[in-house]
Amino acid sequence: MDATIKAESLSKSFRIARRRPGLIGGLRSVVDPQVRIVEAVHDLSLRIERGEMIGLIGPNGAGKSTTIKMLTGILVPTGGQVSVAGLNPTRQRRELAQRVGVVFGQRSQLWWDLPLIDSLRLLRYLYRVPAERHAANLKRLRALLALDEFIDTPVRQLSLGQRMRGDLAAALLHDPELLYLDEPTIGLDVVAKARIREFLRAINAEQGVTVLLTTHDMDDIEMLCQRTLIIDHGRKLYDGTVADIRVRFGGERTLIAEFSPSALAALPYDDGGQPLLTELPAGVRQARAEIPRIWLSFERGAIPAHELVAWLGARYQLRDVTFQEPEIEDVIRRIYEEGLLLREHEASLMINHP
Amino acid sequence: MNAIMSDLRLYRRLILMQVRAQLQYKINVVIDILGYLAVTILEFLSMLIYFVPFPTMFGWRIGEVAMLAAVASFSFGLAELFGAGIDVFDETIRRGDFDRVLLRPVGALFLVASSEFRLRRLGRLTEGILAFIVSLVLLHGIKWTPLKLLVLSISVMSGALIFMSILLMGATMCFWTVQTTELTNILFYGGREMLSYPITIYHQVLQRILLFVIPLAFGAYLPTCYLLDRALPLGLPGWVVFLAPAAALAFASIAVRLWSFGVRRYQSTGS
Repeated sequence: MDATIKAESLSKSFRIARRRPGLIGGLRSVVDPQVRIVEAVHDLSLRIERGEMIGLIGPNGAGKSTTIKMLTGILVPTGGQVSVAGLNPTRQRRELAQRVGVVFGQRSQLWWDLPLIDSLRLLRYLYRVPAERHAANLKRLRALLALDEFIDTPVRQLSLGQRMRGDLAAALLHDPELLYLDEPTIGLDVVAKARIREFLRAINAEQGVTVLLTTHDMDDIEMLCQRTLIIDHGRKLYDGTVADIRVRFGGERTLIAEFSPSALAALPYDDGGQPLLTELPAGVRQARAEIPRIWLSFERGAIPAHELVAWLGARYQLRDVTFQEPEIEDVIRRIYEEGLLLREHEASLMINHP
Repeated sequence: MNAIMSDLRLYRRLILMQVRAQLQYKINVVIDILGYLAVTILEFLSMLIYFVPFPTMFGWRIGEVAMLAAVASFSFGLAELFGAGIDVFDETIRRGDFDRVLLRPVGALFLVASSEFRLRRLGRLTEGILAFIVSLVLLHGIKWTPLKLLVLSISVMSGALIFMSILLMGATMCFWTVQTTELTNILFYGGREMLSYPITIYHQVLQRILLFVIPLAFGAYLPTCYLLDRALPLGLPGWVVFLAPAAALAFASIAVRLWSFGVRRYQSTGS
């Protein structure tokens, strides 16, 4: 497979001039500016293969947007190499634009005062799409995104979900091989979100469009992305599957065991009148109890789930056993808040450079 | 050649989109154009008040000054109409819309220039035409030749190009300062104001600046001298008026180069 996006030690730092207050301060700032350097992206390397659907996540200000802007040629990197669809985004920005579609969830690319169809028609000339191909694409997108009910409505009167569908159509009319989506489901209701996700899955699977999306909605990531990149403080902290994030940072899993009446009768009870398991394997603790169920929490590494089930089964008569995985949302929040990956990253740097 | 034609077609479509969007509010557009026309006519008339107490201005009679002001107004009006997108570039940057411009497979400057088209600005062009007719009436008996018509048209277009280049230089500064600086306004609006009078009323240094640094004099004063069979300033030979396109293109190419330099330093806004 050939890579659609290749970035090597990509960096971007911004020079932010601080204006001094007052007239004299203003004049001084012209002659002798106070410049603060902010590193938005630092030594970021990534590789995205053709046809992948990748999630880019990270807290606000992590460098997601800056990264996407460098990949599209909007921003010129201060360091490192980048190639997208075999092109250099800075030097071949216009050629690249022809092969890339972009949707910013918070900012529409449609003409505000005119009916949606006018924008969609104009894009044909902006991207020099041959008439027949444009007509065919428009027809397909109209059907896929169910645009017909509002295609003649001025964009400013569309709901957020409708506008997003319009923007997706606008980004795909010129058959881009790569689609960047910045917060595609932000502010949408459950139904609209589901519709957008279904559409993205379809264009990725059926037309092989490579998709790179940033989001704060973990459901987007879980439902759409085979691979996820987590960045924070401008560094890549994680590159792998969502399932693997769970394994490494998922924290405790929970087993819920429903006991038979005879087993319950044999158990000791606490002051609150709930059953108590006094003896448990190492690393497993009782989190909660509510007749006839007992919740057991355990670290993933402490004991394999099936062994715990076998252990319980050998001692008590059980009616049912279910597992609860930690919510991915909570896992990611922990990663950001506790800087789990950041610490790991720093530790690895210490090992490499003693 | 094909590429230029398709660019022109695209330009026409982009402008038509905006015209259609503005025509959604028809009464607004009509009031705007008429209002702007009225303001510019008042500007023109207030200038002519000078001639109530004085018969001439540095040897220029009222009809001659009226023609000068008309030519200046028309080239400024063209720049204002077609360079509106460049004029409001600071807003484009602040709203974050320049990101979107850079995502298109079309030249950034081309898209910026066609991003704004305000019908109200037709008001000034109308005033320029009216003022030109007034000057013809006042002058009665100007001898027209094909060469004079040629000089008039190339100069008006060159003047418009120079005014647009001033706007572009101002827009370029937004890559560093985010806001248009007052300097641009001084040059743009001040330039128009200065051009409405014979440049010989200004200091020698200023005359040279208007000819050789910011060659605005090529857009109004020189061609008007030519139309009126007057000598050019600083003893310049008459054929210099034909250099207007060259002067304008030279000035514009500096502006475009600065712009390209600025685009590479564009910092974008937060997400």
